[in-house]
This record gives sequence, C-alpha cells and structure tokens, in this order.
Amino acid sequence: MTDWNAISDVEFRKEVRQFFEAEYPEELRHLPHRPKFAEIEHWHRKLHAKGWVAPAWPAEFGGMGLNAAKLLIFYEEQQRWGVNRGRDMGVQMVGPLIIKFGTQEQKDYWLPRILSCEDIWCQGYSEPGAGSDLANLRTRAEIDGDDFVINGQKIWTTMAHDATHIFMLVRTDPDAPKKQQGISFLLAPMNQPGVDVRTITTLSGETEFCEVFFDNARTPRENLVGELNKGWTMAKALLSFERIFIGSPSLAQNALGQLESFARGRGAFDDPVFRDRFAQAALDVEDHAALYARFADQLKRGETLGADVSMLKIWVTECFQRITELMIEAAGPDGGSIGPLQVGNVSVDVLSSFYKARPTTIYGGSNEIQRNILSKAVLGLPG
Amino acid sequence: MTQTDILSSEQEDLRLLRESARTLFERAGGSDRARKLRDAGGGFDAEMVRELAEAGVFGVAVPEDQGGLGMGLAAGGVIAEEVGRVIAPEPVVLTIGLSLGLLRRLCPAHPKMAQLIGGEISLAVAWQERGPDGALADATCRYADGKLTGGKAWVVGAIGSLGFLVVAEGDDGPVLVLAEADADGLVIDKRAQADGSSLGELSFSGTPAVELASGGAVPTALAEAVADATALAAAELVGLSERAFEITLDYIKTREQFDKPIGSFQVIQHRAVDLNVICEVAQAGVREALAQMDSETDPKVRAPIASRAKARAVTAAKRITRDAIQLHGAVGYTDEFDIGLYLNRALVLSAWLGDDAYHRRIWFEAREAEGAAQ
Ligand SMILES: Cc1cc2nc3c(=O)[nH]c(=O)nc-3n(C[C@H](O)[C@H](O)[C@H](O)COP(=O)(O)OP(=O)(O)OC[C@H]3O[C@@H](n4cnc5c(N)ncnc54)[C@H](O)[C@@H]3O)c2cc1C
Repeated sequence: MTDWNAISDVEFRKEVRQFFEAEYPEELRHLPHRPKFAEIEHWHRKLHAKGWVAPAWPAEFGGMGLNAAKLLIFYEEQQRWGVNRGRDMGVQMVGPLIIKFGTQEQKDYWLPRILSCEDIWCQGYSEPGAGSDLANLRTRAEIDGDDFVINGQKIWTTMAHDATHIFMLVRTDPDAPKKQQGISFLLAPMNQPGVDVRTITTLSGETEFCEVFFDNARTPRENLVGELNKGWTMAKALLSFERIFIGSPSLAQNALGQLESFARGRGAFDDPVFRDRFAQAALDVEDHAALYARFADQLKRGETLGADVSMLKIWVTECFQRITELMIEAAGPDGGSIGPLQVGNVSVDVLSSFYKARPTTIYGGSNEIQRNILSKAVLGLPG
Repeated sequence: MTQTDILSSEQEDLRLLRESARTLFERAGGSDRARKLRDAGGGFDAEMVRELAEAGVFGVAVPEDQGGLGMGLAAGGVIAEEVGRVIAPEPVVLTIGLSLGLLRRLCPAHPKMAQLIGGEISLAVAWQERGPDGALADATCRYADGKLTGGKAWVVGAIGSLGFLVVAEGDDGPVLVLAEADADGLVIDKRAQADGSSLGELSFSGTPAVELASGGAVPTALAEAVADATALAAAELVGLSERAFEITLDYIKTREQFDKPIGSFQVIQHRAVDLNVICEVAQAGVREALAQMDSETDPKVRAPIASRAKARAVTAAKRITRDAIQLHGAVGYTDEFDIGLYLNRALVLSAWLGDDAYHRRIWFEAREAEGAAQ
C-alpha cells in the first residue's frame, strides 16, 4: 500500500493529475448537475480499483490516508479537472462517523460497501420544522423487538431518490428535558414499504433533493451508531469536519477558472472595471486558501478544530456567489440563458454555476447561523 | 387649472391606471398564471393581450393623434411595474417600448400600429448581432432587393410574434423592414431563458421583407425606442422587486425556528429593512427617470436617464431576489415556492437591454461627454 504522505507534494500532485487526465471520462467533466450513480458508475469502478474512493479515510479502512495538505491537493486537482465528486455522502459523512463511533462489526460491514458504492447514502437530518433549528426534529424511532420502527418525515434530502440507505437523526426519547437530548443516529435501508420518497424540483428545474416519508419503516437495532440518545453530540462532532470540507476553496477556485476563460473569450477584460472586480475575486480566493491552509495545518498537527472554522465557510461561499455573479455579468445579453455558452473552444454553463452557488449559503448551517456561532463562540459576545 | 392641479390630476390618472392593471392581473390569477404559462411551454396568453389592449395598455405612450392614450412613459412605467409584480410573460414592455416606439417614430400611419395598440398582434424587434466570440458585435445584416441576408440575436418575443421589425443595412444606409415570422429563408433558433421564455437567434437567407423606413431617422428612432424600453424594463424590475420583497416579508413573519418567527432575529430584521430601503430608492429613482424622459425631447439627454433607471433597478432586483432566496432557506430554492420565479425573471430582465454595470458605464460616459461639451 502506498504511503502517499511520504512522497513530496509536487510528486503527489503530478500523480493525481495524471490519473484524472488519463482516466476521467471527458463527457463527465464539469457536469452541471448532480449525477445519478448509474451515470458515473464506470468512473467510480476505476476509482475504486485504484483505491482512491476515500482520500481522507485511514488506510486501514480502505482509504488513502492522506494528511490535510495532501487532501487539499487531491481536491484541488479534482476540481481543476472538473471531476465529479460522485455520490460521496457515504465517504464524506457517514463513513467518518462510523470510523469514529461505530462498533467493529459496523465498520467491517458498512465501510467496504461505502467504498464499492454497493450502498449509496443520503443524509436525513432536516425536517419541515427542523432546519436551522435542527434539534427541533420530530421523526420518531421506537424500539420494537429487534428493530427500530421509524415514523415521520425528512426533507431536502439530497439525492434520496437515488440512494439505497439513509443516515438519520431521529428522536428516541421524546421526554428528554432538552431538545438536544433524546436524539439518536440511525442507519436505515430505503428500499422498504415504509419509506416513500418524493422528489422536489429546484428553481432551476433540477430534481436534486427529496422529501422522505417514514410510515412504520424498520431498521435493525444494530444500525444504531453510538449510544442511544447521544446522536446530537456525535452529529456535532461530524459538523466541524463537514465545515472544513464545505469551507474548502475548491468550489470557488473552480468557478474562478471558468470565469477567467469565459471572460477572456468574451473580451470582458477589456473593461478596467471588470478587471478590477475579477482581480478582487481572484485575491479573495487566494487569501481564503491561505486561511484554509492554516486550519488544515491544525488538522495536520492532530489538533481539533474550533468554532472559528465557520469563517471559512462564510468567506468561500459568499465569494463563490460573487464569482458566479461576475460570470453572469460577463455573459451580458446571454446572462439569462440556460445551458452552456460557447466561447472559442470552451463552453461554460454560466447559469448552472450561479444556481449551484445560491444554496451554499443555506445548507451545511446557513451563513447567518455561522455568524451567530462566530459572534458567540469566538468573539465571546453576550446573548 | 394651476400647476398643482395639473400635477395631481396626472397623479390621479396614473393611480387609476395602476388599479385597473392590478385588478386585471389579479383576476387572471396573479403569479400563478405566469407559472402555468411557463409550465405549458413558455409562451404568453393571447387573450390576456387583448384584455390588456382593451384597458388601453399598449397605446399608453402613443400620442392621441396616432391612436394612443398619450399618457407618456410614466404611464407605461406604471403598467410595467404591475407586469413585474405578477411576472406576466406578455410582451408589454416590448410592445410599448420597442415595437410601438419604433413605428410611432418612423411610420405612424402604418396599419400595424393600430393592430399593436389593439392587441391583435405583437411584433418582435431585431437589431443586435452576435460576433464570433459570442459577444455583441457590429451589425452586418443586409437588406437588398426586398430580401434580408444575415442574422440577428437576442430577439425577445421571437416566439408568438406575427413578425419581426428588423433594422438592417440597405443600399442607401439603414432601413427598418418587416419580415413575417413564417417568411421563406428565416430560421429561428430558440435559446431557453431562466424564466421559461426564449430568446430568438434569427438567420435570414434571402428572406423577403417589406421596407418601412430608411435613412438616418432609423438609427435615431431605434436609439429612442431602446431608451424607452430600457426605462420600462427598469420599471418592470421595480414591480418585481417590490413583490419579491412582500413575499419575503410575509415569509419571515410566519416561518418559525428556535420557537420564534425568524423575523424576530435582529439580523433578519436589519436585512429586511435594507431590502425595503433598496426597493424604495429604486422605485423613486425609476419613477422620476420616467417622468423626466417624458419632459425631455433631446435623445442625448433621454438615453442616460434610461440608463440611470436600469442601472438602479437591476442592482436592486438582483440583491432583493437573491437575498429573498437566502431568507427563505431551502424552500426558497424550490420551484414550488414563487420566490424562485422572481429570481429567474430578474435574471432575464437584468440581462435584457444591458445590465447595471453596462448602464452605469453608459451613464458615466454621457455625463463626461456633456461636461466636455459645456
Ligand atoms: C440544495 C440543498 C441541499 C440540502 N441537502 C440536505 C441533505 O441532504 N440532508 C439534509 O438533512 N438537509 C439538507 N438540506 C437542508 C439544509 O440543511 C437546511 O436548508 C438548512 O439547515 C436551513 O434550514 P431551512 O432551510 O429550514 O431554513 P430556516 O432555518 O427556516 O432559515 C430561513 C432563514 O432564516 C435564517 N435563520 C434561521 N435561524 C436564524 C437565527 N437564529 N438567526 C439568524 N438567522 C436565522 C436562516 O439563515 C435563513 O436565512 C439541503 C438544503 C439545500 C438548500
């Protein structure tokens, strides 16, 4: 097994780049939508054979075991070449949680299936009444013999219509004194009579997220991860990991690259005002990467991240939005046009980038919530 | 009548006009109607066009001696605001500003004038061209021996119009010609827009067309009509922004998280106030601009006023519709909630006839030129 961390960053980058450029199917580059698994299965098989499905997981669980710096390089190259992340909720979210809190049996059973995509996961946290106030969730799970019986509703579940399993936060003790108590972390199969999935169309006409209804759905008791009624603390532990992922420069970097080739092709750089705004965006991305590296170093040293990691997400998502807004500006009279716009030999889907950037300030803890966290936990402001 | 009496009676006219347009649109189903038309393929409703015509909508800015109401652009702006509030897809600004704007200046006696005012037909206007890099380029479309050759881009209302008013280069300078939508040698390529409408890219190969006007009057009238349409599009964006803000205000009053309405959080309150201020500033600026355009005749003065209006309205609409999505959270990102329709329509209206950055530049250049002339 290769110890990737032992080779130099430059070497590593070269190797990753070569693999993507040689193996990643051209027609899947910079996909404007979230693909269903079937669409990218072929690529996933290649990645799996190479052992590169889970760059962040420790090698003992089948990951690449990359340190923070190498991980950053991996994601940068992925974005640069427009390599789709694939159906990575298993790898990015439930896998790390099982690695951290799961039993040996759970690790042995679930982790290989995540890597092979035999199981495809979706995230069932949000509910109609539990968005920013996630602890308000009401979906119930009650023990019945060897099973949990689940009743309730999840919403905004990304790609639930193309998932085999859902990891979810459920209420297991409705009488707990605080909302945050009495919540558990459960894994459940989607393919059963008690689970009903309805897609929700987004404002750009995509069907990326869903409502999931549970009507006496069942999951075996061994699918509880961690202790009963301790799901909230676990989910929070996962959050800081999620926040550095969501706060990584990659989306903005990728959009900036697209903006540059588009603006150049369209002659937008002839305008000094546009040049200034582009430079501003480019420097916003560059300096964000410097801040990101600071947090990444912290991880590298084995430290846990503090609440201040929220600033990464705020900065980069808002920057991402500004970049896509500049793309629309560069598109001029084409700024309302759906689909790829041709400039020279590149084609850039301006509106799909714009649409993709909008919800980044809403999901993963909205930017208002991140600001609340920073003002209290980092600046120590009262209230 | 004193000056104030005249003023207030004018205001009264506009108020009545606004009420009748609002009632008409509300009775027809408000923004639900726009959604249904979009889902049905993105056209507009010919019956609605006739009803609007009956209310005098299309002829508002046409002088009375040419068969219109002679109420000016300010009245056109009132209607455009109402169109924006319900994101109506009918070609209102297109007809008042561009098609009638051109015809009334170049050939007021043409029978198409009455048909446009009467809502019997609509005509799209084609003048811009796309260069090899995809951006706007100098016009090369030719008209000779009764036939058009070349192409035109970004044609609003290309679908559903009876024909095209095309500005082209004739043997003796610029001409305005009329090509029927089903004319030989005309190919219309549809480009889908965010709001479900489409822009037409036209290509002519020996397409028969009838000459309506020629000479230096054509580019002058075109510039005037474009300025009118630009200012009216700004008014449409103002109406759209206002309604998007109202929808959002209702939402933050009712959506509860952490056991209270999200509108009780101070950060949300301040944001709502900011959006409200932006909206009011835009409304005041755009309405004033339209009134000024009515009292000005010099095209060099009118054009930057239109730019002022569009620059403000686009900046406001972008900010308001984008923040509106944010304040709605995930539901704002769905098609089911109306707020997304407003965002999408704002994208299209912002790109049409120049966005805010473009118009700020035009405004500044005009200001500099004026300074140099003094
Ligand atoms: C594209 C997309 C994909 C998603 N995918 C998933 C998924 O796979 N699984 C899943 O479980 N969830 C998913 N979500 C849901 C996401 O986590 C929620 O949208 C998010 O938690 C916000 O909740 P909400 O949408 O209910 O908004 P609300 O909580 O209702 O918030 C509405 C507005 O109020 C603001 N607000 C709320 N509370 C406060 C406060 N205390 N102070 C200041 N402002 C406040 C918010 O910032 C926001 O602007 C997804 C959402 C989107 C948009």
